[in-house]
Amino acid sequence: MAALVQGVRGALAISSCLLRATLPRATLVGLQQKGIHTNLCGVTPSAALLTSRNESKVAAQRWMASNPGVKPTVVEIKDRVLRVCKEFDKVTRLSLTRQSIRLYSDKAPLSLELIRDRVLLVLKLYDKIQPEKLTLETHFLNDLGLDSLDHVEIIMAMEDEFGFEIPDGDAERLLRPADIVRYVADKEDIYE
Amino acid sequence: MASREAVRAAVRQVRPILSADKGEARKRVLNLYKAWYRQIPYVVMDYDIPKSVEQCREKLRQEFEKHRHVTDIRVIDMLVVKGQMELKETVEIWKQKGHVMNYFKETEEPKPTDFLSKFLAGHE
Repeated sequence: MAALVQGVRGALAISSCLLRATLPRATLVGLQQKGIHTNLCGVTPSAALLTSRNESKVAAQRWMASNPGVKPTVVEIKDRVLRVCKEFDKVTRLSLTRQSIRLYSDKAPLSLELIRDRVLLVLKLYDKIQPEKLTLETHFLNDLGLDSLDHVEIIMAMEDEFGFEIPDGDAERLLRPADIVRYVADKEDIYE
Repeated sequence: MASREAVRAAVRQVRPILSADKGEARKRVLNLYKAWYRQIPYVVMDYDIPKSVEQCREKLRQEFEKHRHVTDIRVIDMLVVKGQMELKETVEIWKQKGHVMNYFKETEEPKPTDFLSKFLAGHE
């Protein structure tokens, strides 16, 4: 039992090292959290919970077992890394991890369109803004006739929506919905 | 004449209380507003006041609008300091329900207009 957990931990370290260079931050957090979860529970993941990540772990274990004491060459490592990169698909990867383990501190994958929709939804729900006048380029103070306290309330609503703090220096520059979308995309590293 | 100019020059460089210019004062005011805004749901919960969160937020907005016309930076600083003291007392629950409900009480009684109210008030 302990040997199995150690083997899992070892394989997890290998796959983490390989994938660290390739995976984006959020998925890596998910990976580490899942690893922590497995180790803390001390429970063997049942066959029903086996995902492709577990399968690659098992494959790595088998490779290690079949070639004892053989160090992989640079060419082999390069091939394996390139294969993993080619096979990597962000959306299915995140959906797979969400299927088996719940990551309570991770956020949903964002895209520019999703950010845009969420920002416009929050602004439409704000009762001091008329939804007909609202587009991405309308200025809060000049076009929509709000005042600075309303602007503060809007920025607070954005902080609550996207789950991170917006400091004052940045907040006073976010005067249009397009600015807010761009700022959130910068903070969350979304480039599409 | 000369003394008036001297007074004017002296007044222009008076010592600041907290902020040196309008920008800093504005930041303090907006931060105070943010802090109160975020605290209101907890105020409603802790003091169990018969008002909703929206009503409290409206009252917060009213209190800030009362002093919208103030331009003197030292006065703004003083008002911000008083607001921070009120916030501290509210957060630490040093106040009681009555103190919080005082915000919703009108401090002036409306003057009687119709005959009966004036008669009962003694023709004031």
